[in-house]
Amino acid sequence: MKAVLDNEDPIQMSRKILRKNGFLHALKRDYLLYGLLLLPIAYLIIFKYAPIYGILMAFQDYNIFQGIGGSEWVGLDVFKFIFHQNSFYRALTNTLVLNLLDLVAGFPAPIILAILLFEIRYVKFKKATQTVLYLPHFLSWIIIGGMVYLIFSSHGMANSLLNGLGLGSIEFLSQKTNWLVMYVIVGIWQNAGWGTILYLAAMTGINRELFEASDIDGCSRLRKIWHITLPGIKHTIIILLILQIGRMVSIGFDRPFVMGNSLVSEYSDVISTFVYRVGIGSGDFSQATAVGLFQSVVGLIFLVTANYIAKKVGEQGIW
Amino acid sequence: MKVKKMLVPLSALTLLTSVLAACSNSNHEAKESGPSSSSTSTSTSSTEKKPSGSPVTLTVEIFDRGIQGQPDLNNNTWTRYINEHFGKPNNAVVKFVPVPRSQEVDKLNVLMASGEAPDISFTYDNTTVYRYAKMNGIMQLNDLMAEHGKDLTNYLGEKVLSYGVYNGKQMAIPAKRTSLAWGGMFIRKDWLDKLGLPLPTTRDELYNALVAFRDKNPGGVDGVIPWGLAATGMNYGTGNLVDSFWKAQSEEEFVTGTGWLRPGNKEAMKYLNKLYNEKLISPDFALDKTAKQVDADVTNGKVGFFSANWDYPLRQNISEPLKANVPEANYVPIDTFKNDEGKYKKIAYNENGINIIIPKSSKNAELAIKYLNWMSSPDVLFFLQYGEEGVNHKMNANGIPEVINQTGDNMQTSYLNLDYTLVVNGVELGDPEKNIKALAATAPGLEEVAEQSYKINTTDTYTGFYFDTPNEANIKFGKTLGDLNKQMTDKLISCKPAEFDNLYDKMVAEYMAAGGQAVADESIKIYKAMQANKK
Repeated sequence: MKAVLDNEDPIQMSRKILRKNGFLHALKRDYLLYGLLLLPIAYLIIFKYAPIYGILMAFQDYNIFQGIGGSEWVGLDVFKFIFHQNSFYRALTNTLVLNLLDLVAGFPAPIILAILLFEIRYVKFKKATQTVLYLPHFLSWIIIGGMVYLIFSSHGMANSLLNGLGLGSIEFLSQKTNWLVMYVIVGIWQNAGWGTILYLAAMTGINRELFEASDIDGCSRLRKIWHITLPGIKHTIIILLILQIGRMVSIGFDRPFVMGNSLVSEYSDVISTFVYRVGIGSGDFSQATAVGLFQSVVGLIFLVTANYIAKKVGEQGIW
Repeated sequence: MKVKKMLVPLSALTLLTSVLAACSNSNHEAKESGPSSSSTSTSTSSTEKKPSGSPVTLTVEIFDRGIQGQPDLNNNTWTRYINEHFGKPNNAVVKFVPVPRSQEVDKLNVLMASGEAPDISFTYDNTTVYRYAKMNGIMQLNDLMAEHGKDLTNYLGEKVLSYGVYNGKQMAIPAKRTSLAWGGMFIRKDWLDKLGLPLPTTRDELYNALVAFRDKNPGGVDGVIPWGLAATGMNYGTGNLVDSFWKAQSEEEFVTGTGWLRPGNKEAMKYLNKLYNEKLISPDFALDKTAKQVDADVTNGKVGFFSANWDYPLRQNISEPLKANVPEANYVPIDTFKNDEGKYKKIAYNENGINIIIPKSSKNAELAIKYLNWMSSPDVLFFLQYGEEGVNHKMNANGIPEVINQTGDNMQTSYLNLDYTLVVNGVELGDPEKNIKALAATAPGLEEVAEQSYKINTTDTYTGFYFDTPNEANIKFGKTLGDLNKQMTDKLISCKPAEFDNLYDKMVAEYMAAGGQAVADESIKIYKAMQANKK
């Protein structure tokens, strides 16, 4: 015991402390792991943090030839201009409405699908089904838009069928409410399969013994789903829900742009198409940046709020 | 507990998937511009290697129209000719920068913003030129033109050049437009003959013909479409129907006012709405954003009447499939929308075409002007438009060249190589009479249709008024208003008749609030200033 103490002189003692707590030593010890991290960090810095500099454009009368350095500062004028435009509010409302519909109808879809898949016993069939379900995710919206037009336009397959059955045709794409339904359904069709991946991963993490125990107790399938599977993926559901709420004000460009048409523009004109029109189309990058900034700020507020509520009700948030 | 541990990798997975998604997106974007730029670099190096000094590279914009079977836009008969006859003597390599036709302004904005715009850039959009001029991003060309552009100045002439003058300075070089007809209307004469109806010369006669097409289906087709239409914005439109409803106005009112408020405009839209609700117009026209559906309907012989560009039925993509599918189909040009004054008032083009601009960032402005100057010589223009005799054209008995359509290396990706012959838009044989004959000769078998259509659509015409000062409001709201215009037209044509009046008033009010009023106010100001300067 004494000999051991003698060996440890003060300097080495302090080194040991350093070794235990210091970042440099952690770096030395796990340099391979940190090395692996470098690439994603570089990605974030180059593509996510560096472009933040461009936000300055929102406060300038941005001149594409002079760049950020040479453009005139105008304070909040750009924002004032945007907030005075009716078309901006329409785009904002539409974005919220479409996203809300997607949330209400689209969010449960992959969960239900994942549970159904999880219950399939025959592995080959399960794998095949999964593959088929993933496929639509890899189709571009341009192609999907073409398919939707071919199937649901007034001379399309669906209406020919309805007419053949003597039911009369339905204006799937040119009547506003119908269009909304189509928009949501097509979105689910494209994404539900892909969305199951995370839930399935979470389900495989559920302790098998729970199922065995419930079998012995004579639980029915529905009971098992309700009391074991769903609680098992609860946290995943909540995290994905928070993330989706954070994206409430942002919306992809392709889907509303491709599926929309002038007859339903009251619903199909969203923030991304607005930004495209004023930013790229009219070359007014200041406005486009300002709208983008607005979108990010509101998105952040939504995200933080959702996270806060989740924590309050006793769930684990995303941070 | 175990479940909670799962969360960390799970959230990592979510992040990873979103990152992957982002990656794939950016890859996709890169791809769009990728192949063209890589092909440009390889082809130029093979075409042009000169021993003396290192040649200067002159970059020139070119529209990529995505035509099936098109050659490498940077290495074909035309680019080689240009490099041989202009490049070599000037120790230069002319390199073409492809820009997708349908996104010309969008792409040019991006190129300008990144300082990579070609030495010779161009756009059909006047507002864009205004905007660049205002931002001080393009060169003032007066001195360069005087020094290096003598032939060019002579060729274009004062009138054409005046369309490129902004605030008293030559900021753009407009191309000379040799054929001025814009729209055209066509009806199936074989159907009329079958029904014993005359060629319509008034709105009512056309209406009767359309109703007869609908009820009697003279072609015996499945799903007859009396009037073929697509979503507003593509080639198809309603011709000069709306013009025929307009009441007389003073010049000032006419050129500065908003079309939607013009007396008679509402009645015109109401008339179209009536036709639509009587099932005389393509039922899903508003969904047909690319006009592919109506093209198919026309070429399958289902359409009785349509309005598009004056030469639309002569175009290969219409005339050839139509001939194959319905050999008896015979579309003839008509003039049918007569106004109260007994005129067939319609818009035609001004004498200017595309606007050529040189960005401030260009280091080869002098060479660029020299290039355009070289191009305005008759020999060069003739070769670029008609190519070699026996390959791209043959001379007919009247000494008029007839185009031979080619594919691959000798293919022209635009009508008479419009995209390579920047200084001219349309046939240029140095004589207007000859030009029209040559125009007609581009459609073998349809020469008469072509000549008639050209004649009809250059009669009773007016042209867009040219404002010499940028309209700031239009720069700001132009694109939004343009989109609104399209939406309003489509909605008003297809809404329920009972909703029409309310919808019209509501949407016009929205339009005015969204910038329509601001644009009109500024137009009046500029117009008044122009009139004052004249005196």
